[in-house]
Amino acid sequence: MSATPDQQRREESAGLMEYSAESLVPFGPIHPALKEPEYFKLVLEGERIIDVIPRIGYVHRGLEKAAESRPWVQNMYMFERTCGICSFVHSLCYGQAVEELTMFQVPRRAKFIRTIIAEMERIHSHLLWVGLMGHWAGFDTLFMWVWNDREVVLDLVEAIAGNRVHKSMNAFCGVRRDMPENMEERIVERMKFLTDRARYYREIIDTEETMLKRTENIGRVSAETAEKLCAVGPMARYVGLRRDVRLNDPYAAYDEVPLDVVTTTDGDVHALLRLRLDELVASANMVTYAVQNLPDGPIRVKVPPIIPAGEHSSHCEAPRGEIFYYVKSSGGRTPERVKSRQPTMANLPTALEMLKGQTLADIPVVLTAIDPCFGCMDRMSFYDTETNRKWTWSGEELRQFGINYYFPERAKRKPALADLVGRSASVEQCSREEF
Amino acid sequence: MPRRTAGAAVPEMFRFMLEKPTTEAYPFKPIQVPERFRGKLDIDPAKCTGCQVCSLVCPASVITMVDLGTRKVGDRELKVRRPLFDLSSCIYCGECVDNCAFNALELTKQFEVATPNKADLMMRKAIAK
Amino acid sequence: MSETVTRLGGYAEEVGTKLTTLRKNESIVEVGQDNLKTFVSHLVNDLHVHHLMTITGLDLGQNLGITYHFSMERDTIHVRTLVPKTKPVAVSIVDIVPGSILYEMELHDMFGIEFVGNPWKDQKLLLPDDWPNDLPPPLLKSSKADQIRKRLGLEVAKQ
Repeated sequence: MSATPDQQRREESAGLMEYSAESLVPFGPIHPALKEPEYFKLVLEGERIIDVIPRIGYVHRGLEKAAESRPWVQNMYMFERTCGICSFVHSLCYGQAVEELTMFQVPRRAKFIRTIIAEMERIHSHLLWVGLMGHWAGFDTLFMWVWNDREVVLDLVEAIAGNRVHKSMNAFCGVRRDMPENMEERIVERMKFLTDRARYYREIIDTEETMLKRTENIGRVSAETAEKLCAVGPMARYVGLRRDVRLNDPYAAYDEVPLDVVTTTDGDVHALLRLRLDELVASANMVTYAVQNLPDGPIRVKVPPIIPAGEHSSHCEAPRGEIFYYVKSSGGRTPERVKSRQPTMANLPTALEMLKGQTLADIPVVLTAIDPCFGCMDRMSFYDTETNRKWTWSGEELRQFGINYYFPERAKRKPALADLVGRSASVEQCSREEF
Repeated sequence: MPRRTAGAAVPEMFRFMLEKPTTEAYPFKPIQVPERFRGKLDIDPAKCTGCQVCSLVCPASVITMVDLGTRKVGDRELKVRRPLFDLSSCIYCGECVDNCAFNALELTKQFEVATPNKADLMMRKAIAK
Repeated sequence: MSETVTRLGGYAEEVGTKLTTLRKNESIVEVGQDNLKTFVSHLVNDLHVHHLMTITGLDLGQNLGITYHFSMERDTIHVRTLVPKTKPVAVSIVDIVPGSILYEMELHDMFGIEFVGNPWKDQKLLLPDDWPNDLPPPLLKSSKADQIRKRLGLEVAKQ
């Protein structure tokens, strides 16, 4: 039988693996459930991008369909595994959407514990992202140092929840475990340590030539575009929109814990770096406040397994942006419909606009800057309108091209784009319509 | 702030050269896990009554109830069932532990469960005669 | 109830429909396909409710429900419109809310609804290129997971 497009893509990648095996160790997410690959087709004019066509769904798991045949509580564990870095916020958002249908109230202590874990997750996610930016920009030392500090927050989460990634702390109308005894001092001290480290990394990104060269003045998008394309999270805040679900529609304990929403008006990738590091400091302050002012009381209210009929939605602020869940019940043991919308999907149109006009060497940094929840570009296709050729590169090849472009003193000789494309095993002539 | 090629990062570099490495020496040295670590599941067969609540709440379909015959209670014949665990699918959530009314289940601190043989992960303690 | 929602309720009565409050700052209003665009345009341009969170499809038996979820400060406003299953063609709001383009593509893949006016309406977003045309769209109630697995030649690891 003739090869399908998907099979052709796999064959292409097999050819590339033989060609340059050492550069195809994918820079991988350590958590397997973490990210999904996206496939971009980029139309170039020389070295500038003029059009981007996305194709997603490579690890589409059919969670919404699966949720319709599972009991309500089991769905909470399934949706927690949508993403590794925002796992707690997913289960929180689903839980909140269902809780409103039950008419039970969430105890105040449970709301504070939810806030503490959610902010710790945000700290973890931002530290991970700063490290990734260092890696894609060619500053691997920063990546190693930041991920070392990330262990601090992961150890805290493990001490509270039992697991570093899938915390399984949420239940309907409460949390499943209480804070351990005598954790308060340790948490406060570790938050102070992380705040000092975040300030140090701020200094590095503001002064180090490596980061400045790679991240200043690229990845711009106007505030009107971001608003019209419904951008969420840091992608909206870095152009000056004060869009944060914790501020606009407080949930959990965010109406009691003092909140600092960080926005910048500079609108380039360097501003995103500054914004996320400042958010990290704000989150550390919130955790300190919540831990020191934790109210007493029960942590959970038992909810019957049958949820009354109705429909409800809820939204939360994940580290990447706004998560939205819509739940419809027809009074049974399983939901009738669950819709979950992740922030990267909402930011994708804005990301495509950001890419237009950038040079090829800037793509890795710009794509990482949107903090995507996908497997860091495992494959990208390029089409050059000037020479009518198309070729495929892996993420690692693209990253090396970007580093050699900006820091030619590191390369043995300055690479020309035509050379590199010529060496790629997948280059072929084709017309624009075929692409 | 002035732009430099290698400024703020240099003192940190020296600090790391002088400190001991962050890498844990596992598996050449044992590693400590925290108190609440959720590791491999364990059952106390003496406490299990076969009420099958654990089997109903498991999100990963790990637990199947196995028929082990009947027993006489007064003048009735009641079925005796006990759980069989396929721990290769376990997601370590702890729903079964929370819902067991007899405290027969526990998530231990054991995390070294990798094996090339899937049959090793079937826990038959409760159904063994 | 905030001022925006009150004004929207008034506008809904003018165009012959009703705004119902579900609970806790959530309201829903049902509009027909023919006045959907004017309604959404009033919501976005006149009442300045800019943020569309997502678009959800629902299988309601005879009809397919398309629900637009808008958010403004503490309020969530759901706008629902119905299309018959026998002729799932809907009007696209991409010219009013450009951010809806990918959500409409997703509904096209998952429910088979064609959005007239969406520039990428014939492209697949989530489904594979070799999705068989005789399989019903995945999220309809009539579409079963076993059927999809068998047709695509996929195996299940454990049952």
